[in-house]
Amino acid sequence: MIKRLLIANRGEIAVRIIRACQELGVESVAVYSEADARAPHVNAADRAVLIGPAPASDSYLSTARLLDAARTSGADAIHPGYGFLSENAAFAAACEQSGVVFVGPPSKVIAQMGSKIAARRLMQSAGVPVVPGETPQDQSDAGVAAALTRVGVPALVKASAGGGGKGMRRVDDESLATEAIQMARREAESAFGDGTLYVEQVIERPRHVEVQIFADAQDHVVHLFERECSVQRRHQKVIEESPSIVVTPKLRTRMTDAAIQAARACGYRNAGTVEFLVDVSGGRGAERFYFLEMNTRLQVEHPVTEQVTGLDIVRAQILVASGEPLPWVSPWITQRGHAIEARIYAEDPSRGFLPQAGRLLLYREPRLPGVRIDSGVEEGGDVPVHYDPLLAKVIASAATRDEATTRLVCALRAFPILGVQTNIPFLLRILEHPRFRSGEIDTGFLDREGASLAAATQVEIPVVVRAALDAAPRAAAASPQPLAPSPRSDPWEALTSWRP
Amino acid sequence: MATVTQIGPGAYRVEDDGKQVVVFVAGTAEDRWAFCNGEIYREGERHDEGRPKGGHYKDGGHYELTSPMPATVVKVLVAPGQAVRHGDTLIVLEAMKMELPIRAPSDAVVQAVNCREGELVQPERTLVELA
Repeated sequence: MIKRLLIANRGEIAVRIIRACQELGVESVAVYSEADARAPHVNAADRAVLIGPAPASDSYLSTARLLDAARTSGADAIHPGYGFLSENAAFAAACEQSGVVFVGPPSKVIAQMGSKIAARRLMQSAGVPVVPGETPQDQSDAGVAAALTRVGVPALVKASAGGGGKGMRRVDDESLATEAIQMARREAESAFGDGTLYVEQVIERPRHVEVQIFADAQDHVVHLFERECSVQRRHQKVIEESPSIVVTPKLRTRMTDAAIQAARACGYRNAGTVEFLVDVSGGRGAERFYFLEMNTRLQVEHPVTEQVTGLDIVRAQILVASGEPLPWVSPWITQRGHAIEARIYAEDPSRGFLPQAGRLLLYREPRLPGVRIDSGVEEGGDVPVHYDPLLAKVIASAATRDEATTRLVCALRAFPILGVQTNIPFLLRILEHPRFRSGEIDTGFLDREGASLAAATQVEIPVVVRAALDAAPRAAAASPQPLAPSPRSDPWEALTSWRP
Repeated sequence: MATVTQIGPGAYRVEDDGKQVVVFVAGTAEDRWAFCNGEIYREGERHDEGRPKGGHYKDGGHYELTSPMPATVVKVLVAPGQAVRHGDTLIVLEAMKMELPIRAPSDAVVQAVNCREGELVQPERTLVELA
């Protein structure tokens, strides 16, 4: 069993993994950059190691510094979380070589699936349907542009090493191809250190449905049902739920079978996600689905699966990485009720979704029935400019989709965050949109409706808010003033002259 | 008339016409924030534009393109004296792992480039001057 686990990440996911360590009795080691010295993930861990200056390339993306931290802290395993080095095969290989257990699949599986190009080939040979497209041998601007012409616009230029929408550009007009290709390549080089590109046909109005799979070293492969993540803004997921409203029992069987086949084909280990695009334009019974990519790591949206299955994915990751068999057998895994997650980002929807940095002057998480909050920030803390602006995930669970959605709305209405602009008003407008409520959404929903949903937050200040603003002290203080203690707050103090 | 009761640090219960809500307030005298029922309100700072600011006119018809947020300059694609067309990408910034192209708002000639690749720039910092 793993004894001491280093978490090579920050924010909410680092906190989430530390909690699983505590439950398993595994010692946790947090790492942090100079910008995160007072971050919640540092405080939550049993040990913490400073690994470098604020830029991610010198801290959370530095293999050498992370392995150094593992050595000096005596960690026998590393959990990469998501993002950063989680899908970096060289990092996983470096862990394997230095005798540190990498909580995830073997490095060669990451390499194979991390190359979206190799993954496509493997899936095709395993009989899993893929989106039509092409990988140009000639990786120059002209070479990729030529492939794009052959595939035909609209097309997606995608980074072979990509994920989360980074290093990906849609091209609708061939005359703009070169700029898109260059931007995709630069983004891919800076985010993943690999600028290889491929081109894929655009499936119009697809739904994004993914299957959570899990495999252990004893050759058990199970699935934990699907998640639908069609509400995306520029390929960045915003709202995720399970089950998917379009997945019928028959389609579920087909998709989960394909996902297990995909996992077996690549010799998968640990938790992974097989992403599919689902085309429902043919109507019920004639749905088509295509392999999109495989994420060889824990997903941001894993809590929705945990909520509907009642299973702890992160705990199982640590057990399986220790060589133990999966703690679950497939007939016992069930999907119950509905769970839905919203990602709260520090960003300003009314100003082109610009990421926001600054101090969280006020941050109060709501406590409500059926609501889980995974977060990695706290009141008074700083949101640094250097990293992903995800602040918290709010996950609501209930018997039905409608009830779960209503719960999520109530939770967001009761989640004040001030000092840094967030997307909470935008999330509320999505959740209250009739098309979201009826489930008629596809991955282009936000790009079409987003502009009106993102319109400037309330300019007119209502009377009640005005009254509170007028009553609040106009102090130049950076944080809210604490309440002055009431003169009679302690009943024992009022009893000074009384003697028994 | 609304009645306000402070119920915690930065938290106020406001009663108006028999109904009550909780409003959260924070910020400085110049930049005050409020939250009520899922909506965020700001006072003091201008918040009237639909798009990132990104630039303004200076005396003499010069146009200054500024950084909309703290970011790293990843690419400088123009030099002083260069003629640019409306929509040309002049500078590429990177913030929070996303690239932000800074484009020419009209046909113009580059007067000055005030940043270099690799530099960290603050919001409102002038990146390029056009005329």
